[in-house]
Amino acid sequence: MGDKQKQKLTPEQQQYQQLEQKHEIKRPVVKNCFKAFLVGGLICTIGQAITYFYIYFFHFTEQTAGNPTVATMIFLSMLLTGFGVYDHIGQFAGAGSAVPVTGFGNSVISAAIEHRTEGFVLGVGGNMFKLAGSVILFGVFAAFVVALFKTLLTMMGVL
Amino acid sequence: MMKPIQAVKALIAMVLISAGTAGCSFGKTTQESRASMIQSVNPAPGATNDFNHEKVELAEKVKKDIQAFEELYDVAVIAGKEDTLVAYKVKHMKRFGMKRIEKEINKKLEKNYPGENFIVSSDFKIFIEAVELQEKMKNPAYPEKKAEKQLQKIISLKKEMT
Repeated sequence: MGDKQKQKLTPEQQQYQQLEQKHEIKRPVVKNCFKAFLVGGLICTIGQAITYFYIYFFHFTEQTAGNPTVATMIFLSMLLTGFGVYDHIGQFAGAGSAVPVTGFGNSVISAAIEHRTEGFVLGVGGNMFKLAGSVILFGVFAAFVVALFKTLLTMMGVL
Repeated sequence: MMKPIQAVKALIAMVLISAGTAGCSFGKTTQESRASMIQSVNPAPGATNDFNHEKVELAEKVKKDIQAFEELYDVAVIAGKEDTLVAYKVKHMKRFGMKRIEKEINKKLEKNYPGENFIVSSDFKIFIEAVELQEKMKNPAYPEKKAEKQLQKIISLKKEMT
């Protein structure tokens, strides 16, 4: 809470705030970061292994192997979400499991499962991208802005 | 609902089966190309036509020139009828400067061998395929036409974007 907001509180409310702060369990930020780093890194290592798998056994180059890798990672996380395993991973790792592309698959399927009782069309279909929709929107927008900058810089002869 | 351990076991089984099936059908055949995945194999330079000494010499010279770059640790050179393929692996911590390295290599090759057409690539897939082709070319019975066709196929990989 900001200092200005605190000034508006009554003395009783301020007293309660102090009491609440005394008993509040502090977030283990460093521990959380470490867990996120480990699990996020592990997910990325699996992704790298899948990339090498596609390069070695199929006709994908380093540049083109990224597409099937992303698809595979999303598919695996969707399966794990359906089996109820990804929830445990998410609880343990926090951002480590949400930031990589597997978090996208998790957000799609968890929303679909949550709204299953409302029917397939208005429930699953209508709410599937409730969380992942923002990822797609801002992803497309960010890609547009970057492409715009790159085009401008190329036209100016910088790149 | 499946228990988490059961689910993980089912998933591992699925991945292993698909990896095994793919491995059996598309796996690389030669020892060197298999090893190139994890270690430096330093393949000998070669030409699709072994009797064309000019091309064999060109491949050897190019390999020597490219190996001089300290950022690289494995170089494969195959001289074809018209095109010469130069595939290389970049040291891990030097991979940030891949574009600069490619530019420098192109510049050096253009300067030292004017009139020659080079295809330069740091792509891992192209390197593996080049090693595979070199191993096949060691067999005297392997026809030149087939080698040239395979070389063009590898070169076409560089143009693939999707």
